[in-house]
Amino acid sequence: MQVTFKIWRQDSPSVKGALKAYKVQDLTEDMSFLEALDHLNEQLVVQGEKVIAYEYDCREGICGQCGVFINGRAHGPHDHMTTCQLHMRSFKDGDTIVVEPWRAASFPVIKDLIVDRSAFDRIIEAGAFVSSKTGTAPEANAIPVPKGMADKAMDAAACIGCGACVASCKNSSAALFTSAKINHLNSLPQGKAEQHQRVAEMTYQMEQEGFGSCTFTGACEVECPEGISILNIAEMNARITKSKVFG
Amino acid sequence: MLRNKLYFRKLLIAGTGLFLCLFLVVHLSANLILVLPEEVARGLYNSYSTTLRESPLIKIVAYALYLAIVLHVIYAIVITIHNRRAKPQKYVMNRSNENSSWASQNMGILGTLILIFIVIHLANFWARIKLGIGEEVGLDTDGHVDVYEVTYSLFQNIYYVIFYTVLAIPLAYHLHHGFKSAFKSLGFYHKKGLRIVAKVALVYALIMGIGFGVIPLIVYFK
Repeated sequence: MQVTFKIWRQDSPSVKGALKAYKVQDLTEDMSFLEALDHLNEQLVVQGEKVIAYEYDCREGICGQCGVFINGRAHGPHDHMTTCQLHMRSFKDGDTIVVEPWRAASFPVIKDLIVDRSAFDRIIEAGAFVSSKTGTAPEANAIPVPKGMADKAMDAAACIGCGACVASCKNSSAALFTSAKINHLNSLPQGKAEQHQRVAEMTYQMEQEGFGSCTFTGACEVECPEGISILNIAEMNARITKSKVFG
Repeated sequence: MLRNKLYFRKLLIAGTGLFLCLFLVVHLSANLILVLPEEVARGLYNSYSTTLRESPLIKIVAYALYLAIVLHVIYAIVITIHNRRAKPQKYVMNRSNENSSWASQNMGILGTLILIFIVIHLANFWARIKLGIGEEVGLDTDGHVDVYEVTYSLFQNIYYVIFYTVLAIPLAYHLHHGFKSAFKSLGFYHKKGLRIVAKVALVYALIMGIGFGVIPLIVYFK
């Protein structure tokens, strides 16, 4: 199959970027989207052009590195999917595919399709941990955790920090990411001791990073590869209230 | 207040929004009087509006209402400016309609339309009746200020009827998204509860949109 990629090219954070069209032939429907980009890059190497910079790591949908905006959707046309899990069979022969980097003031473009998502790291550093003495691993059953609570925490913990929530949000709100990280730890007994401090510090860092307000469009939960529910944001709001009252 | 400004702003928008939602229920209930036959409607409507104007409790509620509208608008602008800055560069291609509703993406536009409506609506009624600007309002046979006549004569003008009816559409869309979201902004996260809230929001928005939109038409064709 043959497609035309229109890809955002930008050499560095300070220069202006633009979409550039590339016709790519000899693709197969079984190729993943990233393999198609690899295929294009091989052509560019032969032609002596600069290759397209994009991020990836595991290519099995769990690392969250490969986020790009494809044809107007985060990670392409499907709901709840990473870019590496997207295959060329989702497109038709002769299609034009527009590929852009995540857009958000807090995610500045580094090069081409790569953005700087270290704002997420700083939110994590602010409080997404449990303070405890290191040493041998504690006995797993020493702290009873009911099944429902464990499942809820796990659902929130599934967030891979890909940034699709921020990218697809018209306000570039990081509320889904931050709330998932907060609710993961605050739901569990191990996280309870520092719950109010965690909420205060992480939401403060989220604001400092310049993310927007959540207006509950719901775009984030549709684009989230892990299907993290927007209810997490409502729960975070309740936790902020709780931390203001009891914290 | 310095910390969690995103949260406090949304609390304010949600709180004032829900208060305005409640006000609309009362407002629409009163408007229903206009659907009654003229001889009943005139007396009832005028005595109702006189009771409201003379009640000290309603005076407090009225000030709360003005404050709610002003705060809702100001904070909506503050949030919008902040959110625009958070996304300075738009996508060349964005299919947001595939992951979210149009209303949720355009609350600002819908809100602006409603604000324009409120300004004209206040000029039509509030300015004439309470501030005495424009044509003087007469009294009915019971000696009450004839608010019914103000309403009735306004809705003999087809342009006003169209304006009031058409602007009920953005109102319905705004209320549908706003009502649902307000609960989440206030921290209500009960899954089944929110499903019920979503259904109530739809029914509420439909009743408000159709109610406010149809009554001017009924008055026009009366």
